[in-house]
Amino acid sequence: MNLYLNQIGAIIWKDFVTELKTRELLSSMFIFALLVILIFIFSINLSIVKASEVGPGILWVAFLFAGTIGLNRSFMLEKENGCLMGLMLVPADRTTIYFGKLISNFIFLSIMELFILPLFMVFFDIDLLSHLGPLLIVVFLGTLGFCALGTLLSSLSSNLKTREIMLPILLYPLLIPIVIGVVRMTGQLLDGIPLLDMMKWIGLTASFDIIYIGVSIMTIDHILEE
Amino acid sequence: MGPSENAMEVRNLRKAFGVLRAIDGIDFDLKRGEFLTVFGPNGAGKTTLIKILSGLTQPSSGSAKVGGFDVAEGNPGMRKDIGVISHATALYADLTPLENLMFFARMHGLAQPEDQALKVIDEVGLTQRRNDRVRTFSRGMLQRLSIARAILHDPKILFLDEPFTGLDLHASNILREHLQRLHDRRRTILMTTHDISCGLEMCDKVALQVQGRFAFLENIGNVERDQFEAMYFDAVRDNQFIMETGAIG
Repeated sequence: MNLYLNQIGAIIWKDFVTELKTRELLSSMFIFALLVILIFIFSINLSIVKASEVGPGILWVAFLFAGTIGLNRSFMLEKENGCLMGLMLVPADRTTIYFGKLISNFIFLSIMELFILPLFMVFFDIDLLSHLGPLLIVVFLGTLGFCALGTLLSSLSSNLKTREIMLPILLYPLLIPIVIGVVRMTGQLLDGIPLLDMMKWIGLTASFDIIYIGVSIMTIDHILEE
Repeated sequence: MGPSENAMEVRNLRKAFGVLRAIDGIDFDLKRGEFLTVFGPNGAGKTTLIKILSGLTQPSSGSAKVGGFDVAEGNPGMRKDIGVISHATALYADLTPLENLMFFARMHGLAQPEDQALKVIDEVGLTQRRNDRVRTFSRGMLQRLSIARAILHDPKILFLDEPFTGLDLHASNILREHLQRLHDRRRTILMTTHDISCGLEMCDKVALQVQGRFAFLENIGNVERDQFEAMYFDAVRDNQFIMETGAIG
């Protein structure tokens, strides 16, 4: 078990050292998410539309679109110079590769989200601070589901020539249940409804998180093999 | 490694990609400490053979045991015993040699990753460049670092897929010395190459792979270099003819 965790830790460490040197992943995700929010700000008349009604959808569109850039980049690193082959040759269970990439994707996306949330609050003039704890739980559930499925599908699409196109085509339809759950929960939080009153949405989102992680554990071996 | 004297046992191995038979019935044994060089024209299936034996690709039929492990089972235990050097370096371009090798040492579960990494970096003569990004390295340096990655965990069996490709004379000599040292340490080696001199010089057994089969397999003591060269060039010429015309002889 120690070796298993150590191998996952090694993959996360490697991704972080690479990101610290290149600064490509976080900066591109952040700028993209910021641009999405700015485009919506300029295209929606907030004096007519209530910010708390459109805001959650826009926030999650920004997170997911920016996250897709991160997912594409994440497995591209492994394909460059045949590094994935190097990983396949180490005496590790293939799920270590999945969990290592899942956790590093999750951390990178969470960092980006933490920078975007205050900007969203300012641009939409919404008070997030009074709902911060519950909101972070919702963001956690949504980001985990996105990364769980996205990591699996990016490993699948990384072998394709049309990977940049194929990843969103495969990913977004399967994400619908999670997107519905987190957008509804975010909207209700902004309307002042306590998180405990949204147990069915929490249950739905958490269930899909668990299902996607379970499916990934069962299939990653076959997906990584050529 | 299992109790068998053989490091590799390959029986009627086949691999098809649709209608293309990349490996079409290969049989051979390789004893521990033996060095087999496989020659063959482009497209003969040499890389596919190495991919199957190293567990990267599943065979369509037949069997192969490496270090006593059935390659089809994908046992992580087998991967402890093997090292692979292929066309791709499997090195992260934005990391330094030290970071790359520390990463792979941790993935192999080695006790002191940094010490092990520094040791093999020294062995391949890259100590001075250990903190430079791999992206800045020449082909020869990349190949040396690729060797370091492959021998980091001191594997008993090594697979080398055309390791001399793209190397200058100096880098080629360094690689040759390394392979000789590994052979002296009784590591089992299977190498594919087009370089007749290097290939014949170091090996115990030589094979010629043509259209997915071993057309020739012999101990090096029974091989006349001139005759083998003539046979190899004939195979390359025939293969070229088949590729250009689509004819099957």
